[in-house]
Amino acid sequence: MHRHRKIVVAVVAALVAGVAAYAAYGASASTHATINISFMEAMASGTQKPALDTLTKQFEAQNPNINVTLIAEPNYGVLLQKEQAAVAAGQPPTIAQAYENWAASFADAKAIIPIGGYVNNKKIGVKTADQQQIWKGVWQDLFLPDGKIWMWPFNKSDYVMYYNANKLAAAGQRVPKTWVQFATVAKALTKNGDWAWSTDTGTPAAPADGTIVMLSLIKAGGGTWIANGKPTLDTPAAVKALGFLADLKKSGALQLGTNYPGETALGAGRSAFDLSTIAGYPYELAADGGKFPMKVAALPQGRNGQGNAMAGTNIVIFTKTTNAQRAAAWEYMKFLSGAKQTAYWAEQTGYLPVTKAALPIMKGYIATHPYQQIAAQALQVARGNPPYAWWTEAEGDLTTAMQQVLDNGGDPAHALATAQQKALAAANG
Amino acid sequence: MIAENALPRRRIRAANRRGIRDGRFAWLYLSPALLIFAVFTIGPALFVLYISFFDWNLLNSSLSKFVGARNYRDLAHSSDFWHSIEMSAYFVGAVVAGSTVFGLGIALLLSSRGLVRRAVRLAVLTPYFTPLVATSIVWVWIFNPQFGLVDSLLRMVHIHQVGWLQSTTWAMPALIVYTLWHDLGFTVIIFLAGLSTVSNDLREAARVDGARYWHEVRDVVLPQLTQTIVFVIVITTIDSLQAFTQIYTMTQGGPLGATTTTGFLLYEESFVFYRTGFGAAIAVVLFLVIALFTLLQLRVTRSRSN
Repeated sequence: MHRHRKIVVAVVAALVAGVAAYAAYGASASTHATINISFMEAMASGTQKPALDTLTKQFEAQNPNINVTLIAEPNYGVLLQKEQAAVAAGQPPTIAQAYENWAASFADAKAIIPIGGYVNNKKIGVKTADQQQIWKGVWQDLFLPDGKIWMWPFNKSDYVMYYNANKLAAAGQRVPKTWVQFATVAKALTKNGDWAWSTDTGTPAAPADGTIVMLSLIKAGGGTWIANGKPTLDTPAAVKALGFLADLKKSGALQLGTNYPGETALGAGRSAFDLSTIAGYPYELAADGGKFPMKVAALPQGRNGQGNAMAGTNIVIFTKTTNAQRAAAWEYMKFLSGAKQTAYWAEQTGYLPVTKAALPIMKGYIATHPYQQIAAQALQVARGNPPYAWWTEAEGDLTTAMQQVLDNGGDPAHALATAQQKALAAANG
Repeated sequence: MIAENALPRRRIRAANRRGIRDGRFAWLYLSPALLIFAVFTIGPALFVLYISFFDWNLLNSSLSKFVGARNYRDLAHSSDFWHSIEMSAYFVGAVVAGSTVFGLGIALLLSSRGLVRRAVRLAVLTPYFTPLVATSIVWVWIFNPQFGLVDSLLRMVHIHQVGWLQSTTWAMPALIVYTLWHDLGFTVIIFLAGLSTVSNDLREAARVDGARYWHEVRDVVLPQLTQTIVFVIVITTIDSLQAFTQIYTMTQGGPLGATTTTGFLLYEESFVFYRTGFGAAIAVVLFLVIALFTLLQLRVTRSRSN
């Protein structure tokens, strides 16, 4: 009997030891278990795809327990639809590219999480010194109106002025540095059937470069796009900016078109300028085809400085994710924005580095591509879309006002007052 | 007597049993298609009707609010909606008139004998088989004010360039020209089919009586083509009400809403500005209008077959 008890105790002890060992193994195994995250993005064309693939492989090599699946979409329009469909179906990716107003609507629907807890975390966050290296415009772009950080920067660009150096030289004109100079040069270059600048205002459903340049003009003139969470499309600076464009149009220096008319006209040697994003540099170069030296300069300034508008997206983390996925996603986002990685991304794709810390790494590249530094420095003053879900509609109302004035000869003040009324109605829901 | 009556009754019962069995098999064979139709067509259509009574949150349906008929009331008071109805009427009216007149004219020319008949038929039919998106982009370039073919031709005759797709006056006619170019082949096929049923004896008799070509067409051909013409008008109306791709690609509803038809407004409200409930209300109204024309088409088709 006594012997039997000993055997039972031994068996129980062995079982307990076995269970404990298995539990310990399980714990250690789960520590090293692979965490799968997915990234829905629209970096599928040209050099963007191989560059992102390379960076992702580097990240996976450094973090063997994290597996990143890239879900590439052909363009931003499709990307937004896919993100919305995924959120509506309750199956979002872990992270995705998002513009500021997309992030605002996702946050309203409780579909994404604020990431300030990761950004400012002492162990896994970004040090204050490194945060300060991020361009001012890019940093401000990470917040929603509640004052929390909801986004992390990824592919950023802003507006520059492309010009035909031969045309300017032939007309004895200098590269304009202010909008007043731009108007003078533009009118001087409008002769013999040629003109200065072509642009597309877009439509209310899809505002284009012309509308973004108008927004830049408003800022440069000391105006605002929003104030106290409401649109301000009819400020005196906005009226003046639209009057400025109307005057250029009336003189024939500005021509309107569709499908990237600025690129086409500049490339064909018919116009002297195109005002577009730096990310479009390869396309401008292709349109030029080596016919003339195409140069890049900073966007002209107004009395309030450059007033540049920022393009490109940030990354957001979706709510329907596990804590492990969120932490892994944050590591990946932080990796992509690191000085070395953002420098590589910029050199490969033409987008801009999101941090000043990348510039020394890019020294050699900037020596041969000086326009990158011009555009990167403009990120200090450039501003992204106001982070409100209604901004899409307000921007469309501004496009309508531009069409009323530039195409139909309407009065700028009246057209902008109407746009403001409609935008306010959208903002008030 | 009993035996004589029993035989047909038995036959009737057997036939009924066969009918029921065949009916069951018919439903069985139809069920996959019906299931797909119910899930992908009827279900979503009913869902659109449902969300038209909500302030619908596309991203998180649990945040949607029931608003009753508010979306329909807003629709009735929306200047954008009534403007889109005007633009739809403009587009549909011009496309239907153009398709019918030019389609019939070309079909009449093609039905007569001639060496170039096949080549012309091919030229007219080919655009119909080309993708709308691709050819729309080609026409955007044709209408380009600075570099396009149309303005280049106008400049040759010293006519000032027109911003076809940028002008509130010319954007809709430009869209109509493209739509006619693309869709005319379809109406020509229908009219050619209709013309093949016109009695040659009557046409010859008219000619023998000294009728000129125009009189022959007016007094002999057209009366026999009445139902074909009605069919073409109805089917083209339905197609035009649903037009979207060319508007999306060529003008995005602009400039200043000059090409915002009701179909495009539905897209803009639902998928650009995310007023999904309001967009659904537009969809329901558009559905009712198209359903009306579809019923008309069914009636016409039925009367043709009778």
